Amino acid sequence: MRATLLALVLAFPAAAQQATVEAKLPDTLFPSNFGGAYTLTDHHGERRTEVDPQGNLQLVFFGYATCEAICTVALPIMSEMTDALSARGTDVTPLVITIDPETDTVESMGPALDAFAPGLTGLTGTEAELAHARDLFHVEKTLLFTDPRGVDVYAHGSHIYVMDGDGAFLTLLPPVLSVERMVEIVEGYAAEAAG
Amino acid sequence: MRAMIPLALAALAGPALAADGERVQVTGEVIDTWCYFSGVMGGPDAVVGTAHHTCALWCSAGGIPVGLLAPDGTVYMVLKMEGDDENAGGDTNLRIASHTIEADGMLYRRDGLNYLIVEEVIADQDIVNATHEDFGVIPGFAIPDSEAPE
Repeated sequence: MRATLLALVLAFPAAAQQATVEAKLPDTLFPSNFGGAYTLTDHHGERRTEVDPQGNLQLVFFGYATCEAICTVALPIMSEMTDALSARGTDVTPLVITIDPETDTVESMGPALDAFAPGLTGLTGTEAELAHARDLFHVEKTLLFTDPRGVDVYAHGSHIYVMDGDGAFLTLLPPVLSVERMVEIVEGYAAEAAG
Repeated sequence: MRAMIPLALAALAGPALAADGERVQVTGEVIDTWCYFSGVMGGPDAVVGTAHHTCALWCSAGGIPVGLLAPDGTVYMVLKMEGDDENAGGDTNLRIASHTIEADGMLYRRDGLNYLIVEEVIADQDIVNATHEDFGVIPGFAIPDSEAPE
């Protein structure tokens, strides 16, 4: 029942989402760094570090393929953002770092992501490798309950991190913004990176 | 009050990192930012307070970041709440969902958004925004029929 209710709430279209501000003020630095050196395995079985092989900006999210909560919002947003940015001339690499390696294996993660968020690359690894990655992004993983199907339901981070091609932190995006607004934000960082 | 970000302004507002955060004290209601910003469950007055409390719990449990809605309409995205071990979550704030609190913390501005790290909840007034008197339960399906009061 819980998953059904939550899915209903989150199933509504996000097209109207906008952030509100009173006025544009200068950005400030966040108090902590996000990201750092990690090595995981993508859903093609290739080892991957924090550095993007193509030098693209990277969108990083922590989730899992069977998640019926925030992942059903954030992952399609990342897919849409990637397409929209590509159409506007900015290539980004969207990455999902699993917090449930038992479910999200090299073999299963790709097809699971393709089902509702095409174009994303799944990253998995050993529990130690993944715990290290979560620590780098200050993401907490908490087992909430096991649903009647026997699927573990986790609380985990909900922001989309924007990293540069070397894996350095640029900003984070709350998944409550519209895709259009997120695209504008990422484009700003891409333009700055391009000099 | 809820001034939308004009697209032109957003396009002009490139990223520029500057000063550190500033210490602030903010009094406001802990809100469900998904339903507040999306408008999918109703207008901003209907998706706060008691009317939306159950849905706010679902959304927070599902990972939607909470915000602090100040009386002037400013929304502060809560990056970390007092007592949290980590600062990128949004899923451990069930205890104070819909509460009106006075928070002391650090304000950071990024990409046109306000981010707040709540270091201390100075005062917790509990849930005082009795919106159910005007709106009932928003949305109605947030409370299953089997659990709804007679």
